[in-house]
Amino acid sequence: MLGSLKGLMTTFIEFFQPVVTVQYPEEHLPIAPRWMGFPVLTWDKEISEPYCTGCMVCIRYCPTECMSATMKDNPLHTEGKSKRRKIVGDFEINYGRCIVCGICVDVCNFDAIEMSQEHELSVFARNDNRADLSRLLQLGYEYQENTGWSPTEKDQEGENVKT
Amino acid sequence: MFARDILTDLLGKPWGEIIGLTIELIGLLTALSIVVLSLTWMERKLLGRIQGRMGPMRVGFHGILQPIADALKLVLKEDVVPGSADKGLFWFAPLAVFVPSFMIWITIPVSHDLVLANLDMGLFYIIAFAVLSITGLVMAGWSSASKYAVLGGLRSAAQLISYEIPIIMAVISIAMMSQSLNLQVIVEAQSNIPYALLQPLALAIFLIAGVAEVGRTPFDIYFAESEIVGGPFVEYSGAHWSVFFLAEYINTFAIAILVALLFFGGWSFPLMPEISALGFLWVGLKTYLVIAVIFWLRGTLPRLRVDQLMSLAWKVIIPLSFVNIMITATYLYYGWAWPILTLISLSITVTVSYMLYRKITRPALRTLEERLAYAKSYNQSRGQSEVSDAR
Amino acid sequence: MTSEPQTGTPGTVDMMMNMGPQHPATHGVFRMVLSIDGERVIDMVPHIGYLHRGSEKLCEHEQYSQIITLFDRLDYIANFNNELVICKATEKLMGLEVPDRAQYIRVILCELNRLASHMLFYGTFGLDAGAMTPIMYGFRERERIQSLFESISGARMMHNFFRIGGIRYDLPEDFNQRITQLLNELQKGAEKADKLLTFNEVFLARTRDVGIISAEDAIAYGLSGPNLRATGVNYDVRKSDPYEVYDRIDFDIPLGDRGDCWDRHYVRMREMYESIKIIRQCLEQISEGPIMAPVRRIARPPAGEVFAHAENPRGDFGVYLVSTGGDKPYRLKMRPPSFCNLMALRHMLRDAYIADAVMILGSLDIVLGEVDR
Repeated sequence: MLGSLKGLMTTFIEFFQPVVTVQYPEEHLPIAPRWMGFPVLTWDKEISEPYCTGCMVCIRYCPTECMSATMKDNPLHTEGKSKRRKIVGDFEINYGRCIVCGICVDVCNFDAIEMSQEHELSVFARNDNRADLSRLLQLGYEYQENTGWSPTEKDQEGENVKT
Repeated sequence: MFARDILTDLLGKPWGEIIGLTIELIGLLTALSIVVLSLTWMERKLLGRIQGRMGPMRVGFHGILQPIADALKLVLKEDVVPGSADKGLFWFAPLAVFVPSFMIWITIPVSHDLVLANLDMGLFYIIAFAVLSITGLVMAGWSSASKYAVLGGLRSAAQLISYEIPIIMAVISIAMMSQSLNLQVIVEAQSNIPYALLQPLALAIFLIAGVAEVGRTPFDIYFAESEIVGGPFVEYSGAHWSVFFLAEYINTFAIAILVALLFFGGWSFPLMPEISALGFLWVGLKTYLVIAVIFWLRGTLPRLRVDQLMSLAWKVIIPLSFVNIMITATYLYYGWAWPILTLISLSITVTVSYMLYRKITRPALRTLEERLAYAKSYNQSRGQSEVSDAR
Repeated sequence: MTSEPQTGTPGTVDMMMNMGPQHPATHGVFRMVLSIDGERVIDMVPHIGYLHRGSEKLCEHEQYSQIITLFDRLDYIANFNNELVICKATEKLMGLEVPDRAQYIRVILCELNRLASHMLFYGTFGLDAGAMTPIMYGFRERERIQSLFESISGARMMHNFFRIGGIRYDLPEDFNQRITQLLNELQKGAEKADKLLTFNEVFLARTRDVGIISAEDAIAYGLSGPNLRATGVNYDVRKSDPYEVYDRIDFDIPLGDRGDCWDRHYVRMREMYESIKIIRQCLEQISEGPIMAPVRRIARPPAGEVFAHAENPRGDFGVYLVSTGGDKPYRLKMRPPSFCNLMALRHMLRDAYIADAVMILGSLDIVLGEVDR
């Protein structure tokens, strides 16, 4: 009966090991810095406008087509305060369709969209989990504050410096 | 006994007896229900710790109130009765399973003077009533009007009947040692040496057959995966099912307390406490240890298939139980010293387990090198092209 | 390999039993209709397609970088291995040379994913047999691996980490310390798993000589992976058609001897130890360097056809890619290992008990995501 006895000893020893349960929601497991939560839009604090210019690259590359946006002329550019000629008008992400793949972050040329660490976004109706521009910017602002995010450095030609 | 004595003094013979007996029976039922609740809690906590997790934690401190929540849920659930089921049998079957399990407890003593009715044939009574619940299972399966329930019920009947025989044989050898069927006399005869030391083979047989009787892993195929799930209980829900559930845990507790009384000396080994409450605690401790072992087996071992279960019963356990009776008879006839019985018993247990172990595991114990060498020779004998063609 | 219906005892009618799309011990939505004679299975008809999502059609409308997210979700337990195959196919068509460091990192992640997949197999197989602790131990080990994946790729399961030409990010700074600790823990976890189940007598009695398939029949049915190696055939894509850096690494191929359920379980348990060996060698051999070949953002392979395959935890996963020069494939055909392994299920179920049918299905280790695509 050696095999069964060895199995019984294994479970017996395991009885005295510390448990691995984490009692959610009182305790949380640590989240890795690279962990991809839902995408959010970032805010340029110096100029007080979103980084997003509404160029629609992320919307074209999204595999599930969960985002939509409009582009408008930037009023701050005509006043001379900002270098961005166009700025985002409306932006909506349907978090119910987003597969959290991160392609939108990869293709964005302006560091405007980032994967936050949001994961506790439950709603009661199927189509309710849509975020409009103000919610996206608010979530993005929280993400920037929590992680100290700053845009990727660009060298003189405007290319991304390799990290 | 207490209620009956007090009430007889107060009310006179017939009424005092009847009312006292009723009160004592109700008290026994309540005590058993509380014990069953504690068993479900203990099982979930123990299995959780074995698996590296906590058990119930939310309902009350560390889940103490979880069994009450479970009981409430079961009682409040809708009791669905299948349309084509035999209504009378359907309603009666849980009772037919539960009542014999409860009747066993009338003669089980938990201390030297705490027993409801100490019969001189206590052991015989217990075995006789344990067999009655099998008919309840067959009734449950038959009346459910479902193919799978009928098959499950018949399968469970086959399993339970096969494993009754080793229990009876093991108990016979104990009765031979102590020259009585009265449970209190058996326990007091162990005040020097528990029968577990004298007859380890009988202990092994009783434990294995007892676990199979109750229907716990590794012998729970008849209700845990047979056909789909459920076996004879597949059509029961709510309060009906809770009666089956109660009966299963009462049976488990009965087997455990019988092991504690018959083999581990009950309240009289190693020391005989004078106060009955202490003896009660001592018996309770031993019983809960045996139950912890039964739960431990459940958490570790996979299930046996039905034919393997039956062949284990008829080819291994029953012959062993007959051998055990022969050894005990020989020992008693020649009047040898007690270590000889231990020696013979233990050696037979070890030999048979080792033979079983070798028979089952010998084909599997080939090492990696042997397998690699076998594979190389196999592939070479079929030509090297066999590997490169399979692109 | 006849397909005529067989009957049991003459003069009786066989009972049809449905193991429906929802199993008690679920392996996904798979429906088996068994015809049984008493306790023996006579015939089996599988019904698949409950998880069909039209992946091959979807691939014709998605760019290559988006297809990688789709391949993650095919065999949703071995995500990195699937991504590897599509990257390999496209790189082969484009003639790309992936940098060494990227190849080593890919191999490390694929082998870790193989470990995680085999741990899941161990857990669910134990649960099919009736033991309720292996699944907890298996998922505990998977949890360790997945939290390492989280720190590397950003997701625990659907990583979208491999790219055409390399990988997305480099390894984080705490990787070396975490991986050595993880490998030690996984070694102990695999040994604990072995001690609990593999040589357990009850488990042996349940799985030995159950669902036997011979080597010739296995090759005829197109089995691959651990199922094939359990019958004794020494075929592993990593050895016979090496890809990435497998030709620079030294490892053994565990084999079984008679092709029953226990052999399939044993081969997978031994493969876990081999995976740990592979990862250790990769960690010694890896060097600094670029992680991405110079490639444009949108991959446009030239017109042509290519077939690429790799050793998934479940078998031989192949991709046949037809491209007409655009940024989307013209046709992408996947050869999923579980789909071909299921073909042998009917053969294995001859003369099995009903309780064995669940065990045999569990030992094949299928994932319905790649059976149905």
